[in-house]
Amino acid sequence: MTEFNPTILAFCCNWCSYAGADLAGVSRLQMPPNVHVVRVMCSASVKPEYIFKSLVQGIDGVLVLGCHIGDCHYLTGNHRTAKRVPIAQKLLDDVGVDSRRVKLDWVSAAEGEKFQQVITEFVDEIKGLGPNPMRGVRL
Amino acid sequence: MNELGKKLARIAFDERGADYLLAMREEHGNVAPSMIRKGEDAGDVRVDLPYQLVNILSNIYPWVPKGRIAVVCRRCDEKALNEIIKRNLMDRDRLILIGLACTREQVALCRCSDPVPSKVDIGEANAPVREDPLMVKLDSMSQQDRLKFWTSEFRKCNKCFGCTLNCPVCFCDDCVLEEHTFTPELGIPPSFAFHLVRSMHMSDKCIECGECERSCAGGIPLLTLRKMANRDMKRMFGYEAGDKEKVSPLLTTLEGKLLEDGEHVC
Repeated sequence: MTEFNPTILAFCCNWCSYAGADLAGVSRLQMPPNVHVVRVMCSASVKPEYIFKSLVQGIDGVLVLGCHIGDCHYLTGNHRTAKRVPIAQKLLDDVGVDSRRVKLDWVSAAEGEKFQQVITEFVDEIKGLGPNPMRGVRL
Repeated sequence: MNELGKKLARIAFDERGADYLLAMREEHGNVAPSMIRKGEDAGDVRVDLPYQLVNILSNIYPWVPKGRIAVVCRRCDEKALNEIIKRNLMDRDRLILIGLACTREQVALCRCSDPVPSKVDIGEANAPVREDPLMVKLDSMSQQDRLKFWTSEFRKCNKCFGCTLNCPVCFCDDCVLEEHTFTPELGIPPSFAFHLVRSMHMSDKCIECGECERSCAGGIPLLTLRKMANRDMKRMFGYEAGDKEKVSPLLTTLEGKLLEDGEHVC
């Protein structure tokens, strides 16, 4: 049997996390290739709807990465995210989807190593959880 | 005019100085919501239907530019109006609430934990129901079983939007559920995302009136889903929708300050 290779979506904010991902790439840090990065202007522009939709369509894990609290380019954007994502996680738990499939973390533009660490840990965690149970679900 | 009509007209027009009374009225054997003007015959008013008048009120409110409107309100209607007023969609001074206490059957139907209005004008206060049996059952299930349960329930959805249209606290002009990104035009039942998105949007304003569940053509236990989400909100932020003053945690920063565009965000 082939090894389970999760597909992971990472929403990275343009001002910090995307630059952090860039730094990680430029520094040639080794990272698992399962992650698809989506560049958004702010972590607050990641509507919970997008998280739900990607999970329903069979993505195994969703990462939301933003600037550290207090460093948001739009001042309070990540405050919104910090409140929305935990609610989205709880709602997923309520309908029987593991909330660990959604993760929120803060990565600044200078933290290439942290980006690598977050991605590696998350991919390992999702590998442990197995494929997304909603992938096969036909409503 | 029946006894109830007389009583309501007296409370609304004589005691509290309303210009209009919004209530359910029976005419030719049919019951429908109606707006009764001051001085008009109130007719055969009925209050035994588990029907929310807040939705009707939200619809006609922009068309009644002057005068005070008296509404027959259950506890959940009262909470819904609090949410609406907090978002500046209605003026509290223009509303007069006539408290209606739910019967025991209605309380049982909604598994309602807060059935008594702040001022009881009609009916008798009944004891609340402490817990929702289905929620207890779901809590004891494993994650896989819970997913299986909700999958089989959501399969019954036929995308009629009844839950959205009849919800007293769904007040956005452009509904995100009508966006084709989240609810494709084709395809019945809609995907899981439909219900999750709705849950997310209701998370800080659902007042557990049960109108979604009652209007659901497929009989999906939507009220249980709402109750679960509300319990999560209470545990995480200590917030319960329907409070007169408390601002939704989604509209404040982590320190509790109001966000700059503090208008209602859905």
